[in-house]
Amino acid sequence: MLQTSNYSLVLSLQFLLLSYDLFVNSFSELLRMAPVVQLVLFIIQDIAILFNIIIIFLMFFNTFVFQAGLVNLLFHKFKGTIILTAVYFALSISFHVWVMNLRWKNSSRFVWTDGLQTLFVFQRLAAVLYCYFYKRTAVRLGDPRFYQDSLWLRREFTQVRRNGGVCLSSYISSQIRGVSSPNLASS
Amino acid sequence: MGKKQRPPRALPPVPSAIQGDIPLSRPKKKKPRTKNTLGSASSEGLVQAPVHKPSEGSEPPAKESTEQPKEAPVPRRQRKTRLPLELETSFAQKKASNASLLRNENGIHMEPTEEVVIQKPRRKTKKTQPAELQYANELGVEDEDIITDEQSSPEQQSRFTVPTGISQPVGKVFVEKSRRFQAADRSELIKTTENIEVSMDVKLSWTTRDVALSVHRAFRMIGLFSHGFLAGCAVWNIVFIYILAGDQLSNLSNLLQQYKTLAYPFQSLLYLLLALSTVSTFDRIDFAKTSVAIRNFLALDPTALASFLYFTALILSLSQQMTSDRIHLYTPSSVNGSLWAAGVEEQVLQPWIIVNLVVALLVGLSWLFLSYRPGMDLSEELMFSSDVEEYPEKDKGLKASS
Repeated sequence: MLQTSNYSLVLSLQFLLLSYDLFVNSFSELLRMAPVVQLVLFIIQDIAILFNIIIIFLMFFNTFVFQAGLVNLLFHKFKGTIILTAVYFALSISFHVWVMNLRWKNSSRFVWTDGLQTLFVFQRLAAVLYCYFYKRTAVRLGDPRFYQDSLWLRREFTQVRRNGGVCLSSYISSQIRGVSSPNLASS
Repeated sequence: MGKKQRPPRALPPVPSAIQGDIPLSRPKKKKPRTKNTLGSASSEGLVQAPVHKPSEGSEPPAKESTEQPKEAPVPRRQRKTRLPLELETSFAQKKASNASLLRNENGIHMEPTEEVVIQKPRRKTKKTQPAELQYANELGVEDEDIITDEQSSPEQQSRFTVPTGISQPVGKVFVEKSRRFQAADRSELIKTTENIEVSMDVKLSWTTRDVALSVHRAFRMIGLFSHGFLAGCAVWNIVFIYILAGDQLSNLSNLLQQYKTLAYPFQSLLYLLLALSTVSTFDRIDFAKTSVAIRNFLALDPTALASFLYFTALILSLSQQMTSDRIHLYTPSSVNGSLWAAGVEEQVLQPWIIVNLVVALLVGLSWLFLSYRPGMDLSEELMFSSDVEEYPEKDKGLKASS
């Protein structure tokens, strides 16, 4: 069972990282007096996203659903968050690399091209969606139903086992047939 | 000697040892108080004599008889000390006579009495074992465990029935610690277990769900603030731009000169507030559940419309990043290396002003739509509803869609 104090701590850490991300996305353009400042901000931002990914996966591993072996169910439930976070991480890194590459020599230079503008729009839009989905997932993982045995979990589990059982029985029967048929042919 | 004897008695490995255990437990707690080695020895001898006879057979029976007069005052003391601890004392008066009765029987018929005494302590130890599991209710004394009936006659007892004797509830519970049964106060144990339960109740009252819910509500409050602030900012911005641009946008160079320090900070602030507002409205319509969100949007639900308008405003605002930077880096066209060639101003600024106007309109409209139903929050209703019934349904729907 997830402890309330632990959950509060993890949730506050996640929100701290999210708010840092939002802050850098909003004001990094203003803080470009020196290219190093922006570089450090961007590096910390990318590390924060990475940390958030690690934390959310650790939270997944802590759930009863995961420990019961229903990894697919859990990943299916939160696949939007996982995919979006990965996409946002990739977009962020590519945008940061591009911008830093252009601004490294002269940070107050006008560097915008259509490509950079497009990447910028997508990266910032993904940031908003990431913020929403990540926040939702983090809050949702506080639901005690993920950390205890319940009726729906048992139903899912039996369903999975039944499917697995059907696969296994069909596999076994096919194996038996495969073994018996050569004998029949030889006889 | 007495100290050396105690450890093996405390352990109940063999029935004979158990036999010695429980009757001894009463004198044991008595010992440190009386500090009378003779008395304690005699009190041990009182019940233990028949038990230890097989092993300590060398002891003469005459010793027992000599100790008998000393035994009488000891049970009285025990009674006095035990009285406040015990719940039932009505039978305590008969104890002395019954104890002697037991002893006599034991002296006469060794084997049957041994069996008798074996059974009783077993029951007692079983009763104390659940106490280790910290169930406060189990620690109480049950009436049926206490035998108060006086046997009719010693002869009948010895031949046909099991002479159980009279038992009393003891204020002690024997808890096994480091392979030894140690006496612990029953009332204290009950208190500690109750305290643990109370603290558990206090902790359970604030669950992770409550934490999540409070965080969600706190964010909704921040969102509510940002909706209003954003609408106000956007309206102020567009009014400011039109005032600086002059009549029919005739004074654009003035606008550029005045506004160039403000353009980028405002762009940043606009992004921050738009992001907060968009996330907040997505929360309100539970955007992750696409089917519900689309249904609400098609039904022209004000909140769903507001979230759409916010998202559009966000895209429009982001698309003006390049122009904002250009304004931020404005230098008059006369300056060498200027981004602003002569005559380009109107060409660049007109769409920028229109986009800003549209953003202000969208943001203001969204604020109006949201204020129509400010309490609406589908996420809270769907995510934090305690219905277990609709939970699997949703899951199955998700699975089926895949």
